[in-house]
Amino acid sequence: MSKIFYDHLISFTEIEVQIDRVAVNKEEKEEMWHLVDEIIHHKVLGCILDSLSKKDHQAFLEKFHATPHDESLLEYLKEKVSDIEDKIKLELKKLSKSILKEIS
Amino acid sequence: MRTSSDELRNKLKLKNFEVKRKFAKKHPSALAFLKEKGLDLGSIRKHSAKIIGAGALTGTLLLAPPIEIPSLPNPSEVIEKIKLDELVGLSPQEFLVSALNQFLPGKVRPLIRDEEKKLEQLFQSTINISVKGTLEGEHLNTTYGYIGAEQHLRRYPGDTLTAHGSGVILQEGMAPGLGAWGYFASSKTDLTPDLEETEKWYAVVQTLYLPDWEKRLPYLRNWYKYRKVLIIDVENGNAVVASIADSGPAIWTGKNFGGSPEVMYYLGGPRYKKGKVLLFFVDDPENKIPLGPVEYNEINLPEISLFKS
Repeated sequence: MSKIFYDHLISFTEIEVQIDRVAVNKEEKEEMWHLVDEIIHHKVLGCILDSLSKKDHQAFLEKFHATPHDESLLEYLKEKVSDIEDKIKLELKKLSKSILKEIS
Repeated sequence: MRTSSDELRNKLKLKNFEVKRKFAKKHPSALAFLKEKGLDLGSIRKHSAKIIGAGALTGTLLLAPPIEIPSLPNPSEVIEKIKLDELVGLSPQEFLVSALNQFLPGKVRPLIRDEEKKLEQLFQSTINISVKGTLEGEHLNTTYGYIGAEQHLRRYPGDTLTAHGSGVILQEGMAPGLGAWGYFASSKTDLTPDLEETEKWYAVVQTLYLPDWEKRLPYLRNWYKYRKVLIIDVENGNAVVASIADSGPAIWTGKNFGGSPEVMYYLGGPRYKKGKVLLFFVDDPENKIPLGPVEYNEINLPEISLFKS
């Protein structure tokens, strides 16, 4: 099982379609999926750290490192930044648009 | 002009590099912390899988549903809860949908072992097919999730879309690449009716995200190849036995499984592109259960007939 606590907020179906259209084999497709996955993690973590106050960074990173799959991390973040879920969703929306613009 | 595969990969690599560079510049202390812990954000899924795997070994229910979500009731409890007058005239399919509505959490999540056991009993008693969440020790990352529409797969070199049927079923088109197990046959003449059915009723599961996929690759690749699964749309009860023939979808699509055009058409009709489903392994050691739609309204099991008028 591999799961990150914000997975349920991601839905990049159009990017998948673009990759499916051109990938010539499974390995290539999975390599591109992984590249997108890495981009997502950096953007989402960046968004979270930008939203949290500096003093909360360490505690959040400790928790994230210990249980990256735990959905209660989102609740923890909401206690610090009430609209964090909306912020992450917006970041993901912007990211999806920007990737699509670059790869289309 | 259409982007080629190399172009797309290079663009993604460039974007990937740029995003990482910006993250490092803006959050150097976070990066240092992660580095100190030996964690690269690009490998966060592997790290997560290790933690969850370790939890499973030690018996810690890391994936247990949050406390506020009650675990699923027993099938017998569900039957007891349904008022008798509501049962009169219910077809097995209506009964199953009604039971699943009461069984399942509204929000898709991995089910715990006990919940899967209860569903196995429910399917056995309504659909009359023996299914398992865990079969021969193997278990998918989730048995409850979203299925998305896939394209036809090339069955042999030179295969064409029109050879896959006619009408609406061809609308999804043909995948440009091959399925995870390559061609189904080396030539058109080698394509047996069984293999034809396998492609027609194929399912896609996220083997690539299994925690031990790379470690046990030769065994798991073989074990999952054309493995039969029962897929049930939880909202309408439509059920189909499919065969695993590809790996995916990407985890960031919000989907957990994929279905061939025929599978999707049967589960929800021509406009069905995404649906909430349960997917269990079919326990069929003698290979007796055919692929394709499961018309369980036609069966008349003693357990079900109790509830029919």
